[in-house]
Amino acid sequence: MNLENEVPSTASNLSADDMSGDSAYLGPSARCVLFALDNEVYGIQVKKIREVLRVGTIRKVAGAAYGVLGVINVRGVIVTVVDSRTLYSMPTREIDDLSRIIIIELDEERTVGILVDFVIEVKDIPESKIESLSASKENASRHIQGIAHFQDNVIILIDVDNMFLGAE
Amino acid sequence: MDEEILQDFLVEASDLVDQLNEQLVELENSPTDSDLLNAVFRGFHTIKGGAGFLAITPLIEVCHRAENVFDKIRNGDVEYDAAAADVILRAFDVISDSMAQLNDGARELPENDPQLLVDLDALTGSKAVVEEPAVEVSDSTEPVLQLADGVDPDGDISDDEFEALLNQRDNSSSSSQSSEVSAVLTLPEGVDPDGDMSDDEFEALLNQRDSAPSPVTNTQTSPSLALPEGVDPDGDMSDEEFEALLSQRDSIDSSTKAATNTAPKPAAPVIETKPEATPKPKVEPASSSKSTAKPAAKSAPESTVRVDTKRLDEIMNLVGELVLVRNRLLTLKGKGSSVEDLSNAVANLDHVTTDLQASVLKTRMQPVKKVFGRFPRVVRDLARKLGKDINLELKGEETDLDKNLVEALADPLVHLVRNSVDHGVEMPDVRANAGKPKTGTVVLAAQQEGDHILLSITDDGKGMDPDVLRTKAVEKGMMDEMAASQLDDKSAFELILSAGFSTADQISDISGRGVGMDVVKTMITKLNGSIDIHSVLGEGTQINIKVPLTLAILPTLMVGFDEDSYAIPLTSVQEIFDFNAENTNKIDGQVMVRLREESIPLYFLNEWLASDKPKDDYAGDKVVIVSIGNQRAGLVVNQVNGQEEVVIKPLGVMLKHAAGYAGATITGNGSIALILDLPGVIERFQ
Repeated sequence: MNLENEVPSTASNLSADDMSGDSAYLGPSARCVLFALDNEVYGIQVKKIREVLRVGTIRKVAGAAYGVLGVINVRGVIVTVVDSRTLYSMPTREIDDLSRIIIIELDEERTVGILVDFVIEVKDIPESKIESLSASKENASRHIQGIAHFQDNVIILIDVDNMFLGAE
Repeated sequence: MDEEILQDFLVEASDLVDQLNEQLVELENSPTDSDLLNAVFRGFHTIKGGAGFLAITPLIEVCHRAENVFDKIRNGDVEYDAAAADVILRAFDVISDSMAQLNDGARELPENDPQLLVDLDALTGSKAVVEEPAVEVSDSTEPVLQLADGVDPDGDISDDEFEALLNQRDNSSSSSQSSEVSAVLTLPEGVDPDGDMSDDEFEALLNQRDSAPSPVTNTQTSPSLALPEGVDPDGDMSDEEFEALLSQRDSIDSSTKAATNTAPKPAAPVIETKPEATPKPKVEPASSSKSTAKPAAKSAPESTVRVDTKRLDEIMNLVGELVLVRNRLLTLKGKGSSVEDLSNAVANLDHVTTDLQASVLKTRMQPVKKVFGRFPRVVRDLARKLGKDINLELKGEETDLDKNLVEALADPLVHLVRNSVDHGVEMPDVRANAGKPKTGTVVLAAQQEGDHILLSITDDGKGMDPDVLRTKAVEKGMMDEMAASQLDDKSAFELILSAGFSTADQISDISGRGVGMDVVKTMITKLNGSIDIHSVLGEGTQINIKVPLTLAILPTLMVGFDEDSYAIPLTSVQEIFDFNAENTNKIDGQVMVRLREESIPLYFLNEWLASDKPKDDYAGDKVVIVSIGNQRAGLVVNQVNGQEEVVIKPLGVMLKHAAGYAGATITGNGSIALILDLPGVIERFQ
């Protein structure tokens, strides 16, 4: 796990966390975008995120794999959109004004969008507060980089590379 | 090795290699054309130069000799006959192969086949002898030159010492298996061994020295002395430079004595910089990296395109126009603008954008010459192998094609040309008996036809007999006699495009297995193109390939289900008519529609594409008859919205291989339409 302190590429309609109250330096940290699914808070490293979009029209693709909501047009590029709820075996929910699509950059050529309930903020999470998962893992945990306990929150950090490993 | 310089070299050298390919074949037809000879000489010389700069020893060795051969030829000393051509072409293949390896990421090339080097030298008439342990000593003496005792190889060589070297040449010593690596040098004819040696003669000595491989082991490279940069091999050579050469030779000796299996390149760094007075040759430190000949990890192939600056200027202009229109629209947005102003501005925008699009697409275009370049050689080799006499004509080489197309068409075209040579054109005597000229002609032509490019391969060979083809089809169990007899000639010819179909009774390694033509058909179809075949028995065959100019744009038929749009490739669409339940019936569980005495299977697309809204009554829907391979199918759609040329956008993660979709596109109103892949669609219904 190599978490670096990086400047986010783009962070549209998000407010960066105001860290002024936290003057003590807590060591190296990972800057993450935090989003919510029901009551759980998840985080994805900013360097893997290209942008966050409001949900417009998602073009359904008949016969696509379960969990693939369809495709959207991002400035001329057709991006597949996946429902994060399906990824975590949660029941699906209607899209509302707070729903967002997080566009993730798997590598230079491959992007994918994840539909989430709502995006909370961008936060620097100190590495010291992150614990990697122990050996006993359940099914979905290969996607999980670690769990952070920070500022009274339990944040589940997602490893997007693993999540979409082998997906073509 | 400096990567940047290497990449530049590869781009330049690849061009030269392509040119040489054509020139060498042309040369066989006009072996005394001095312009051609000079061009070929310069080609090898330039590649050698670049290779020398990058210290790619094996390449230097071959180019150096090839250059020498052509120097002799253009001076009239040697003739470019068929035997010479064979050797030179072998050398060319080695060079071409080396380029390919370097392009793939190899940073070290394997050592040259000593026999090739010997053969090349033999062409120039220099009598280098390969020292083998049990070789018979020929009449001519084989002197061994060793630096006289007491001569410091690192110091300056005096005239006396050099004289001594020359004198040694006179002492005949039999070639023996000296454990010392020794060079066998014969002074070129006519040189007085006791007189002064001119630079030419010295160069000749060097050449010999290069070509004589060490007798100790076969895996030793023939150490080649790279002349220091900037030294004209035919001009004066300073003492320092000569002495640098000697030190190369010595360092090579010492490194081979150390019995490492590494390619000796130690002197190269020395030469690159400045020949120092005391060159302690720096044996290349990373010997570990050299111990295996494994090429470096395949670097991402740098895909580049050469663009005419004129085209770039056009684009700059158009972008300028675009900016102006944009500004105009911005101004119009501000104040209350009239509809007329707006529509003028929009019309302008439309115009400029169309032009800009065309211009940018043009930058990816390359002349079809790039593909055609390899054919003279292919035909020559094949014709020689089969004992046929064939003349290849290339037409329309300057026609432009998208770079992707150029690369994608190369293989199919090669296959078709080989077919023409192998099965089309007859043996010379057969031709003579038929009253045809002994030399067969194969014409490879390219022509632009609107938004398509037309490629054709025409031969004046024996043509095809439709009856034979029909019989073969029945024999192979592809259809019964009735169906076969109903095939018209054109369809009969198209039978050869089916898998497993070959009328050749003997399978050669070239063709005849019956797997080539269907692969060609598949590849052409993938490019949204088409093939058709004409043939007249006894007179010849013509195969025409039609491919759209660019891969990215596809003419489609837009169809819809409520708000969802889908695009069907127009080339597959045959006809459209209203759905009428009375013309349908069910055969074997499959609904079929009757169309002019033929029954065509029907697929109700909304069962797949709008499965959440099932319906029983299809009145008002349309049937689109499409062709998929050799078969036809009818697709029932809700609405047909007309034709549209769309830009194909690939589907991404998790959808790339979704059956039935070839991609997506963005329609005029900004919404996404999915492009259907017809074979995939049918699969869904099976």
